[in-house]
Amino acid sequence: MKTTFSICFCLLLLTAIPAYGDIARPQPSPQTPRIVLHTSLTIVPDNKAYEARLQISQSSLQELRAALNDTNGNSIAGGIMRNSTRTMIAGVFMFLSLSFAGVWLARSMQTRGQKIVASLLLGTAVLGAATIIVQANAGPPSSFYWKKLSQNLSHGASTSGGIDIEIVADPTDGRGMKLIMPTRPD
Amino acid sequence: MERAAQLNPAAWPSEDSIPIVGRGRSTRLFASTLIACACLSALLAGWLPLQVSVITVFLFAGPHNWFELRYFLMRLPVRFGKSRNFFLVAFAGLGLLTLSYISLPVLNSFNLLPDRLWPYLLASWNTLMLLWIAALVWLRGKNKRARNWSAVYPIIFALCSLNWLAPEFFSLGIVYLHPLVALWFFDRHLARTRPGWLRIYRRCLCLLPILLLLMLWQLGQTAALPDDNGLFWRITQQSGAQLLPNVSSRLLVGTHVFLEMLHYGVWLVALPLIAPLANDQASKQPVPRAIWKVRSVPVARHPRGFPKLITTALALGAFVVFLLWLGFSTDYATTRDIYFTVAIAHVLAEAPFLLRML
Repeated sequence: MKTTFSICFCLLLLTAIPAYGDIARPQPSPQTPRIVLHTSLTIVPDNKAYEARLQISQSSLQELRAALNDTNGNSIAGGIMRNSTRTMIAGVFMFLSLSFAGVWLARSMQTRGQKIVASLLLGTAVLGAATIIVQANAGPPSSFYWKKLSQNLSHGASTSGGIDIEIVADPTDGRGMKLIMPTRPD
Repeated sequence: MERAAQLNPAAWPSEDSIPIVGRGRSTRLFASTLIACACLSALLAGWLPLQVSVITVFLFAGPHNWFELRYFLMRLPVRFGKSRNFFLVAFAGLGLLTLSYISLPVLNSFNLLPDRLWPYLLASWNTLMLLWIAALVWLRGKNKRARNWSAVYPIIFALCSLNWLAPEFFSLGIVYLHPLVALWFFDRHLARTRPGWLRIYRRCLCLLPILLLLMLWQLGQTAALPDDNGLFWRITQQSGAQLLPNVSSRLLVGTHVFLEMLHYGVWLVALPLIAPLANDQASKQPVPRAIWKVRSVPVARHPRGFPKLITTALALGAFVVFLLWLGFSTDYATTRDIYFTVAIAHVLAEAPFLLRML
C-alpha cells in the first residue's frame, strides 16, 4: 500500500513539471478611451490672436503627468477622483462605520474621556453625513456651463466648465487633438 | 441539546495528557518545525516564485480543499438547535455568493457588461460578502451573549467603504489575506487542544512579518518576472502585477506563494497531524485515526448522524481532487483559472466555521 502510494506520488510530481512555456499570452483587448484626469477648461475668444493657444497651468501639468505615469489608469487617488458615485457610496458606509463605532464606544466604555471620544466619533459621522448630502447636491453637470458657449463666443465673452482629459487610440486621419463639447438641449 | 450533539471538548487532548518531562521537548520541537517550515517556504517562494507556484498549486490545491471539507464536517453539529438560523444564513450565503462570483467571469467572457460597470459589480459583490459576514456575526452574538461582538460592525462598514473606493485593491487584499485565516484557525485549535503550545505558536507568528520584510528587502528592487507566456502572465496577474505596476512582480508572486505555502501547510500538515480533533472517549487519550475513516467524523459517528451523506461528500471531494490533478496535467492554465474561481467557496466557508470557534 505504501509502495503504491509512493509511486503514485512520484508520478504526480513528474507530471507537475512539464513545460508550459508555449502557452500563448492572451491577446490584449482593443484599446478603449480612458479618462485620466478631470479638470476645468476656460475658452477665451481673442480677436488679436492669430493662432489658437492651449495654456496649461503648472499644477495641471503635474497632475496630468502623475495620471499618465499610472500606465493603467488605476491609481487609487485617480479612481476616487474620477468616480463620484463610488465615492458617495463609500461615504455612506464610512458614515455607518463611524456611527456604529460611536454607539459601541458609548455603550461599552464608561469613563468621561471615553465618552468624549464616542461623542467626537458621532460628531464626525454627522459631519460625514452632511458632506455626503452637500456632495450629492454639488451642482449641475458640466454641460450646463458649456450650454452658453456659442452665445458667449459671439459676444466675445469667456466660458468655463469641467473637462475630462481622455486618452484615445491614434486616429487614422492624422488629427492630433479633438475637443468634444456637450450640446445638450434644455 | 445542541451542545450535547456537538463535539465534547473534554474528550480532546489536554496539556495534562502529555507527560511533564516531554512537554518542553515537544514544545521546542513544535516551535523549531514551525520556524524551519516558514523559513524554507520563504526561501523557495523568493528563489523560484513561478515554478514553486505551479508545483504547489498542482500538488496541494485540491488536497487542501479536501482536508478543509473534512475539518468543517468534523466541526458540524449533528443538530443545529439554537444555531439553526446561523447555519441557514451561512449555507444560503455561501451558495449565493459562490454562484454569483462564478457568474462574473462568465459575464465577462460573453461581453455582456461594459467595462465601466465592472468596478461596481466587483464592489457590490464584496459588499454583499461583508454584509453576509456581519449577519453571521450578529447571529453568533445572539447565541453567545457573554461576548460583545458589536465592535465588528464599524470594522465591517469601514471595510465596505474602502471597498467602494478601490474594489480591485480590496479583492487583491482578499487574495493575500485569505491564507492567513488558516493561521487563525490553527491558533483557535491549539487554544482548545494544546494550550501549552499556544504561547510559543504566537511568538513564532512574530516571525511572519520579519520574513515578509526580508522578502520585501530582497525582492523589492528585482526585475519583473518574465510573463511572456499565458501561464506566467496569469500567475503575475493573480498576484496583482497589473494593479501594482510599480512593485516588482517577483516580490508580489513570491509573497503570495509564501503565504499560500503556509496556508497549505496548516491545512495539510499542522491541523490533521499536530492537533487531532477526536480522541478515544474511554481513555481520554489522542488516538491516531486514519483520515479516510468516515467514523472519525462526529456527524457520521453519532447514532443520529448521517454516515452515508458524509461518506458521499468525502468520496465526491476525493473524486474532484483526482479530476483537478487530471485537469492540471492536461491543461494547467485553464484548470488553474477554473480552480481559483470555484475556490472562492472554500474562502467563504472559512468565515462561519471560524466564527463558531471564537
